[in-house]
Amino acid sequence: MTAFPLAPAQLAPLVLAIAAAAMMMRPGRRPPAARLLPQAASLAALALALGGAALAGADEGGGPMRADAIGATMATLVAFIGWIVTRYAARYMDGEPREGRFHALMLATLAAVLVLAQAAHLALLAAAFAATGLLLRQLLLFYPERPAARRAAAKFALVWHAGDAALILAAAILWAAHGLGDMAALRALIGEAGPGAADHVAAALVVLAALLKTAAFPAHGWLTEVMEAPTPVSALLHAGVVNAGGVLLIRLADLVQASPAAMAALAFMGGLTALFGAVVMLAQSAVKTALAWSTVGQMGFMLLQCGLGLWPLALLHIIAHGLYKSHAFLTAGMAVAEVRAARKPGPVAAPGWGAVARAFALSLALYAAMAGLFMAIAGPKSPQALALGAMLVFGVAYLVAQGLADAAPRALTWRTALASAGAAAAYFGFQLGAQALWGAHLPAPPDPGPLEWALIVLAVGSFGLVALAQALFPLWAHHPAAAGLRVHVANGFYLNALLDKAIGGFRTVKAK
Amino acid sequence: MFMKQTDFAPARMSALLGAAEAAARAIPPAFPLDATVAVNPFMGQAGETPAAASARLARTAGVRLFGPRARIAAEIAAGRIADEDLVEALIACPSSLKPADLGLLKSRLGAPRPEPEAPPTVADLAAQRTGVDWPAVIERCVGLWAAGHFDRGQALWLPAPGADAWASWRAWAARDLTPEIAGLAGFCAHVSAAPDTPERAICRAADALELDEAAAETAFHRLLMDLGGWAQHARWLLWRAEQEGGTDRTLAGLLAIRLIWEEALLARHPDLAERWRAAAAAHAAPTAPSIEDVIDWILQDAAERAFQRRLAARLGGAAPASPARPTLQAAFCIDVRSEPFRRALEAQAPGIETIGCAGFFGLPVAHLPHASDVDEARLPALLRPTLSSVARAPEPRERAARIKARAIRAWGRFRQAAVSSFAFVEAAGPAYGGKLLAGAFGRAAKDGGLEPAPRLDPAPDPAARAKAAASALAAMGLTKGFARLVLLVGHGARMTNNPHESAYRCGACGGHDGAVSARLLAGLLNDPETRAHLPAHGVELPDDTLFLAALHETTTDEAILFEADLPAARAAAHAAEIGRARGWLAAAGRQVRAERALRLPGATPDTLAARARDWAEVRPEWGLAGCAAFIAAPRAATAGKDLGGRAFLHSYDWRGDKGFATLELILTAPVVVAGWISLQYYASAVAPEVFGAGNKLIHNVVGGIGVVEGNGGRLRAGLPWQAVHDGERLAHEPLRLTVLVEAPPEAISDVLARHPQVAALFDNGWLHLMQLEDGRVAARYRPGGGWRAEAPVAAAA
Repeated sequence: MTAFPLAPAQLAPLVLAIAAAAMMMRPGRRPPAARLLPQAASLAALALALGGAALAGADEGGGPMRADAIGATMATLVAFIGWIVTRYAARYMDGEPREGRFHALMLATLAAVLVLAQAAHLALLAAAFAATGLLLRQLLLFYPERPAARRAAAKFALVWHAGDAALILAAAILWAAHGLGDMAALRALIGEAGPGAADHVAAALVVLAALLKTAAFPAHGWLTEVMEAPTPVSALLHAGVVNAGGVLLIRLADLVQASPAAMAALAFMGGLTALFGAVVMLAQSAVKTALAWSTVGQMGFMLLQCGLGLWPLALLHIIAHGLYKSHAFLTAGMAVAEVRAARKPGPVAAPGWGAVARAFALSLALYAAMAGLFMAIAGPKSPQALALGAMLVFGVAYLVAQGLADAAPRALTWRTALASAGAAAAYFGFQLGAQALWGAHLPAPPDPGPLEWALIVLAVGSFGLVALAQALFPLWAHHPAAAGLRVHVANGFYLNALLDKAIGGFRTVKAK
Repeated sequence: MFMKQTDFAPARMSALLGAAEAAARAIPPAFPLDATVAVNPFMGQAGETPAAASARLARTAGVRLFGPRARIAAEIAAGRIADEDLVEALIACPSSLKPADLGLLKSRLGAPRPEPEAPPTVADLAAQRTGVDWPAVIERCVGLWAAGHFDRGQALWLPAPGADAWASWRAWAARDLTPEIAGLAGFCAHVSAAPDTPERAICRAADALELDEAAAETAFHRLLMDLGGWAQHARWLLWRAEQEGGTDRTLAGLLAIRLIWEEALLARHPDLAERWRAAAAAHAAPTAPSIEDVIDWILQDAAERAFQRRLAARLGGAAPASPARPTLQAAFCIDVRSEPFRRALEAQAPGIETIGCAGFFGLPVAHLPHASDVDEARLPALLRPTLSSVARAPEPRERAARIKARAIRAWGRFRQAAVSSFAFVEAAGPAYGGKLLAGAFGRAAKDGGLEPAPRLDPAPDPAARAKAAASALAAMGLTKGFARLVLLVGHGARMTNNPHESAYRCGACGGHDGAVSARLLAGLLNDPETRAHLPAHGVELPDDTLFLAALHETTTDEAILFEADLPAARAAAHAAEIGRARGWLAAAGRQVRAERALRLPGATPDTLAARARDWAEVRPEWGLAGCAAFIAAPRAATAGKDLGGRAFLHSYDWRGDKGFATLELILTAPVVVAGWISLQYYASAVAPEVFGAGNKLIHNVVGGIGVVEGNGGRLRAGLPWQAVHDGERLAHEPLRLTVLVEAPPEAISDVLARHPQVAALFDNGWLHLMQLEDGRVAARYRPGGGWRAEAPVAAAA
């Protein structure tokens, strides 16, 4: 058995690649196989991934791909979303002039992402990253006659492949230093011998690659413009591709955590990107654009979790976000009905200072209770985990505050309070699950030193401030003094415009 | 002490503002997508012929109003358009530019026509000069501002409500650094220094651009067309304000915004002045159709005559009416999708009679739905509500529904807000795995269940109720000969994840479904107090007649009966009739599904219901695609004839129409609305770039009001390409509507004489008008007035 290099989950990319090749034979409109083949292939891939997950840990072999707990989890996520998306696309793309080609490219991209999720060797990981980028670029150029599509594809390729270069360089350095490319072997080695100078450089490059690929500030510009491709592409991109940078970090967690500077950079850039993306999102009136900015923020938050050493939570966030965001894109057509439904019950009851103060107090009390309860069940938590919980509870405070607004009826107060408690319980519950599933495969958070403490305080403080501002939002958002700020926020502080300026994105592109 | 204001010569100022006004009125209104109705995209050009409008829009938007000639040539080759159609169209064409004979006309069939090119704007010239795509930069910058300004609740952080467009944009653009980053240094300062009213800004920019009064109108029109759906949305704001007796300056603001850009670009690149003067000079010339425009028009006319020829052959005379009391009567909306359903229902048993009328059943209501504070105008866009209604569940259900809606909204804001969005994903994200599965299996949207029965509120007194009910009955020509059971069938279109859902619903109900109107009228007509007053209005209603509201879902062709609205005793007394009607409706639905599935790509009769629930379906049904005729005549003229779902059918018997009041109503309301629908489909099919909503696959819903393609930019009004095209060919054959009315020609002419705006639609060739006699085409209206007898046609081919 161990001699056979391919476990079930590792067959999944192969199935998809064969189906992609088959679809490529009839790249045009309404190919006969379009209704069934792509979704059958992706369903088979999902079954294989689930099979792999069931066997995870039983036989990790020594091949270039490995279905360990993390690989199997990612493979299952990607295969699940891949199946949903190909099933969606079978109907959605019906009648497009290049329908067959679309399915072929989607299947091939899925195959590449599945390889990426399960790669055990750095060379394979880097190759899968590059292939994903090349294929996705073709999908982003599905309407090549649209100048905006070409601009978005150019930005994506630039940033993605710069990340590839950083990753390849890191792999080369590690190879030169240790003669190793297998990530588990590297992990063991660094765990035993401690990091050398080369490892610190490699960790920095890995962090750089991850920042670029997760669209972290200031390289986020590529992600906020890729709505030029059909909706299923966005769903796959936001759920299965943009988080691959996080997978890279989690795979190399021991290497990254061995470098405090890399961890600090991750925490800082991640936290900054999280707040930046989330604030810019507030001022976006186009539904997909708002979702894209939300992804920027969510990926930043995931990077922050990595930077704090909360690796299982970062993986949990990748999964939760992937499921949520692909659903949000696929149902983006409901926005008209949703805006209408939100107007129906009349004006929103805005919480005042008092309500917000009570909401924060209540939420912190709720948090203390929950944290105490879960610590009693699962043992003490690291300061990082407690800090992260506090940041999330600031978010929950907003939900509580809405129910405490003076104009809110009692029944609404109860409902929001119940939802808040439910949210907090769900969060701690999932956290427990994440630790149980993946904790053994990932390093525990480092004991915080002065730098780490400073970052923790900075993160908790800044998230708390933004949360407070958000809860008090109706009190200040329409003040003329805020109107100017809104202009800059809606424009994403012009970073994208500056990038356009740099790469010629404003220039006339002749239609092909 | 006071600064001297820049002076404009009053004459020039009023000429410029007159041109701006004319340009604004040349833009068609676009209704927001939550309740959209079709509007004639050429509403502003109704005073000229389609050929002239084509020439105008070539200059102002770079489009032509006629499809490619190859399509007509193919129809001729296939024998669907005959030489006689071409000859008749040629003879009828009033233009002096028309070809001398059929040979010359046909020789132009294969002639290639270059795409029309609008004269450049300063932005176009600056793009050529600098290499920076200024039109795209403007689209992006204005689009981002407009998305926020017109947002109805998509974003959490909206601009302060109530600001007028010009002031709001000035405050925005004075701070927005994007134009300067793109290379237009000093733009913020330029905006800061702009005049404080749009009128002054327009005049100042026109001076800077050296626009003379003659050039201003089409130059302004060009700039407004450049803003796409934003200008059309602003035109809708004006439409709505004027309907309520006010006015609105948003459109003036948008024109000023676009002019400020032109002014700033010209100031930045003074060397463009020469080329800009040439472009402005092109605007100064009057627009006139070219020979090629006239030929296109004749060919289009010939295609319509070919359709009319086939339709006339199919009509071929009225069936004899049966004197017996009908076993069931059912009133449907005039919508073309009712035609196959009515045909199928009547085929179920002898004695089933159907009636066609505007689907709001003559009750112009503003309706407050269950658990809602936002009222809905459930009436044709041309009318103002004169009644109001509410749907309220008994307490505590009503209150519980409201609390639930508010809790859902609070949860939604929790999901959307900055810091809490992270907590949301961590806590609720995994649950979306289940939602993805639900969506994949057609359960993305939950069924809301039936709304509580609506009632008029405040309720008019019985006499007034009877008057409203009687006039509704008169409009459908139903004042005597009632069956024991009369169904009032509104229509809706349930679908999932489709931003254009309301475009498939009932246009006569303002883009809502027809259930509320049908239930209200049924409630009135079953009410004993109201019925007591009906004889005074000439309605002979037997005591045993029961009215029952129903809803025809056009995506699935299922009919829901609102039996629960009926008093229990009456429902029981009619249980047998209701049971039979239910069976007939179900059988009719099956027949229509079989007919309709043939046209929908990849559909079978059994999968239509699944399509309506499919979150990935971009063609849940064809809507009104294919609409080509409007027939106002007794049902006997069309009964049993397969009109292919292409005809609006309005029941009308002129013999019972005192003073032709109903004729006047039909010609001025349903005909106009049907004409708008047909022209909306026409424009979305022949000029999709300008009048269509673009590609559904890359739609991005903005502000709850409309869609943009891809990242952002200009709002796209009209119908999506997928609503008129099946991937291989157009699903909507672009034909102007042929209106056929069974009434004496003098009576029709008389109504037109009293309604010049309606007459203009026929006189200028936006709609065709024909007169029927005993179900046969008898005469054709000649533009300018007068009738020409039509040769009798051979019976059904």
